Amino acid sequence: MFTEIVLLPLVNVIEKSGERNAFCINERFYTYREFAVHISKIRNSLQLIPFKNKNIGLVANDDIETYAAIFAIWMEGLAYVPLHPNTPLDRSLDVIEQAEIKLVINSISDKIFPEVQTIFSSELLFKDLNLTIKTFSEDNLAYILFTSGSTGQPKGVPIARGNIAAFLQSFWETGVKITANDRCLQGYELTFDLSIQSFLVPLVKGACTYTIPHNQIKYSYLYGLLDDHQLTVLPMPPSLIRFLRPYFNEINYPCVRYNLLGAEASQVELISEWCKCVPNAEIYNFYGPTEATIYCSYSAFSKSGDTKNLNGLMNIGKAMKGNSSIIIDDQMNILGENMKGELCISGRQLTTGYLNNPEKNLLAFFQLEYNGSKQRFYRTGDLCCIDSDGDIMYGGRLDYQVKVQGYRIELGEIEFHAREYLKGRNAIAVSFENNIQNTEIALFIEGELANTKELTDYLKLKIPSYMIPAKIVVQNTFPLNSNGKIDRNILKKSLPI
Amino acid sequence: MERKTLEDKLTGIFRKIFNNEGLTIIDDLTANDVANWDSLSHMILIGEIEKSFGITFKLKELNKMKNVGNMMDIILSKL
Repeated sequence: MFTEIVLLPLVNVIEKSGERNAFCINERFYTYREFAVHISKIRNSLQLIPFKNKNIGLVANDDIETYAAIFAIWMEGLAYVPLHPNTPLDRSLDVIEQAEIKLVINSISDKIFPEVQTIFSSELLFKDLNLTIKTFSEDNLAYILFTSGSTGQPKGVPIARGNIAAFLQSFWETGVKITANDRCLQGYELTFDLSIQSFLVPLVKGACTYTIPHNQIKYSYLYGLLDDHQLTVLPMPPSLIRFLRPYFNEINYPCVRYNLLGAEASQVELISEWCKCVPNAEIYNFYGPTEATIYCSYSAFSKSGDTKNLNGLMNIGKAMKGNSSIIIDDQMNILGENMKGELCISGRQLTTGYLNNPEKNLLAFFQLEYNGSKQRFYRTGDLCCIDSDGDIMYGGRLDYQVKVQGYRIELGEIEFHAREYLKGRNAIAVSFENNIQNTEIALFIEGELANTKELTDYLKLKIPSYMIPAKIVVQNTFPLNSNGKIDRNILKKSLPI
Repeated sequence: MERKTLEDKLTGIFRKIFNNEGLTIIDDLTANDVANWDSLSHMILIGEIEKSFGITFKLKELNKMKNVGNMMDIILSKL
């Protein structure tokens, strides 16, 4: 199915409309024909290498060659593992070790990982087009993404070709219709799976993808793209909309046909104001963990003001076709209408499990009799209920995972590295809302710490910049709750606003 | 206001926002050159500049600020 749903449509577009624009990156357009040239030269060079491992490290630069490498890798039945150039080296090396990466593709001639064989894609010469489709098992991996792990080590989520095919099939069933004339935003980092929706959907339809380059101020760059290029499809996290909120009166883009919200919970109040800026857009709220391939449920925003919400958060609707959603209690019993519990997901988009992590897999995946057959479910860690219409209402996290600018973060991972630096003294990370209601991290340190900048500098060597606490508070002792546990709520309330 | 006076005032604001006492600003300086200059700190920076000079920016103006030189031109045009 991956061949029919992903690769063949792209090859057809290249053959039939090679002169059309595939990408606009850093204000430069690239046609489908140029894209094919880059895919072919990278594929040719991959074919010359005897493989020790099918997982290929891909330095996630923002350029045509990096996008081309993804398809070259897929056409050879291999999987890519994105390595962000701004990620601390220690963390990337951990990913390289966990995924047993023996080969890296980098579009910039800079040997970031001297120990690993590297293809510098910008130095490759083009000979001829190499777009022949070969058949591989649907179980072959297509990518592995690493998400924050509470033990201090990132967790690998392997996604197979069959998972992506199932996702794209379900996505088209939602009713979103993209044509070759669409101009689509790709504002997500390649280390994040929503990027795959953002470039794959336009590419298989012959549309043009507009990226936001690294180190740009995203909200202001997005405005430039809207104004200069009249984008028609906007997948984006609500946090980006919050940055634009002070300027809503300047934003009016009737060109936008679809606005696909994702990556974090959407506040109905925010979206109700925002929808006037994109008056013709159909707005959808998509939900899904990386473990279930990009998104697995969605709801449509109603401009007439009757969008269902729980505590102001927009509902996440119904499972996309091919997925099932249930709510369970602590004893793994399926709960009925309107009863709150943990959202669990099954279906064709589900990963086979975390990479080399049997302990975590035992906790996160389980078998259950559902609709007359035994099915494998993933525990999302999200607190939800399903109402009488079958719509899922989102009620926050059950654990200490938070989302900052759409990135999924385990607070435990920040605490782990802070405690390492503090030689075992306690550190507690909490999330809080800043003055534009975007989530940020505060780190509380117990005892004394004269120089918090040194701690921040240490953390910068260990964790990505979006995980670095915006505030560090040092205090003598931590408040305890009635169970004798550190009371995170009191810590949170003590933050100056 | 003289451009030089503006540059001095802006330097103070940049040093405070990016928590970097050694930061000097030049016309060509961009978000690429300064650690932690991202969407969030940009928003805080813009807020601080607006407060200090008693001006407000439009989104269109923010989009034109490709570097600090552009930023100073826009501020001067509003004073």
